[in-house]
Amino acid sequence: MSSHEDTVVRVQDLVKVYRKKSRNPVRALDGLSLEVRKGEILGLLGKNGAGKTTLLRILTTLIQPTSGTAEVCGLNVVTDPYRVRQSICAVLQENAVEVFLSVLDNLTTFGRFHSIPRREILTRAEAVMVQFGLDEYRHQTVIDLSGGLKRRVQVAKVFMVDKPVVFLDEATTGMDPVNKRATLEAIREQAQRGRTILLTTHILQEAEELCDRIAIVDHGRCIAIGDLPMIKSMAVQVYDITVTFKQMRPEILETVKSFPLLKLDTAHTTLEMSIKASEVSTFALLDALSRVEPIVHFEVTSASLEDVFLELLGRSDRNAAAGGRS
Amino acid sequence: MRMILAVMYREFRIRTTSLTWMFYDIFMPLLYLLVFGIGFNSAFPDGVVVDGVRLSYNAFFLAGVLSMASFGIAINTAYGFFVDRENGIFYEFLTYPMTRSEFLVGKILFNCLLALVQAATTIVVGSALLGLPIRWDLLGLVAIGQVLGTAGWFFFLMTFAIRIRRNDMFNTFLNVVYFVLMFSSSMFYPTEALPRWLQTVSLGNPLSWHTDILRYATVGAGTVEGIIVKGVAFVCFLAIFFALAVQTIRNPLRA
Repeated sequence: MSSHEDTVVRVQDLVKVYRKKSRNPVRALDGLSLEVRKGEILGLLGKNGAGKTTLLRILTTLIQPTSGTAEVCGLNVVTDPYRVRQSICAVLQENAVEVFLSVLDNLTTFGRFHSIPRREILTRAEAVMVQFGLDEYRHQTVIDLSGGLKRRVQVAKVFMVDKPVVFLDEATTGMDPVNKRATLEAIREQAQRGRTILLTTHILQEAEELCDRIAIVDHGRCIAIGDLPMIKSMAVQVYDITVTFKQMRPEILETVKSFPLLKLDTAHTTLEMSIKASEVSTFALLDALSRVEPIVHFEVTSASLEDVFLELLGRSDRNAAAGGRS
Repeated sequence: MRMILAVMYREFRIRTTSLTWMFYDIFMPLLYLLVFGIGFNSAFPDGVVVDGVRLSYNAFFLAGVLSMASFGIAINTAYGFFVDRENGIFYEFLTYPMTRSEFLVGKILFNCLLALVQAATTIVVGSALLGLPIRWDLLGLVAIGQVLGTAGWFFFLMTFAIRIRRNDMFNTFLNVVYFVLMFSSSMFYPTEALPRWLQTVSLGNPLSWHTDILRYATVGAGTVEGIIVKGVAFVCFLAIFFALAVQTIRNPLRA
């Protein structure tokens, strides 16, 4: 892997094997390598159990890798964990809040842990409370708040401090659309200020909208990394097709199923599908469908990140299965 | 130091959210002494004999109450780890810019302060209400005994609270351990009165060491030589569990 001068997070051949008594060892990371540059938002995508959270746990010094190296701001997470922690702040997957404290106390306590000058703590706490719509709950004990509000408190804390690297593990989970939007904007603003952000998410639209680059992780390996056009180009010949008919007939579905589909949804007289085929085959499908039933409207677009994601994971699964057989 | 103070501040903020908690923290040992102690004092009007010295039951029980208070603080803090883990904050803490030792020291310093406030309240009010024959010249030793005792029990229970991930399992473990430690110790009765086998068990019981040190420091019962040996033994116990606690918290997800 080529290394950039402005690389802030560097992971090389990282392996993590969980060994549990009376269970087979689990290889959560299997030689994963990636780099994140200064001021960049890198999105980690992958199925549940792909290794994303394990990677974040290693980078935040919660666990140690079995082998390989991981560096944050040039500091090794195994040999220099304390200095790594001085450079990072993290929103972990679990809701992490002081349930017995008020919203304001959660923020001020967090500020103390991150050595914000005492006079400045309150100013910053006020600012993030406004930014995340927490102002009206400032004196409310967190245990009495809803799950979404608790998550907001947790995420808001991160924006009180100026650490160069931020790790966000499914940060917007449980938030309503308005606060999700505020969080995404805050993340983007932080990146513009030069903070490096590594986030995991299951919401592909969020990753597509927010991330400068995307890394797709599967079976503990990075199977694709790059900006959106590059990732999309890795899954060439995937198209999204929407077709509306005068009426829906069983023959339409039969016709469609003879093509290599990745995804198929039907709603009333409309079919939404992703197809992995050449342009010629794609129009052959439309032609075949129009012979079965007149088409009222159709739309063909290049693949979305979700299509690419499914295609790359499918390819990875096939490779893993082939590797297992050989 | 800033991180240690931040941990202490956090513990303080949480403790002061509940009046019941604060009342329990400060007055529990005193109430125990007043209610339980007075009852037993009436049941044993001739008092008890410790190392040839006759003491009223109240005077004898004072040290037991103080060591019980230390153990109680450690129990509460150990359960606090489960609450913190359930709320996810425990793991987030470990990503904060502090060493694992700073985290532990901050927690223990707060608990030690609490133990000192409890001890001072119990001794001063207990002496005024019950006329306990306090060795005021040895108060410094009481403070050292409470600090070391609280630290020892904290590291002991914390090690298991983090390694045993299930609250119910830890509860069972704690009940068994406390039962064995308490009833094979000099907390409630002089060990001289126990069967020989139980006396032997008591000799190796850190709760007996802690209680005997406090008994010497509060009412002067025991010998200097015996107290030194027990003090050294307790410091070794503390050092072993401090090392285990640090090792446990270095890799909390594996433990």
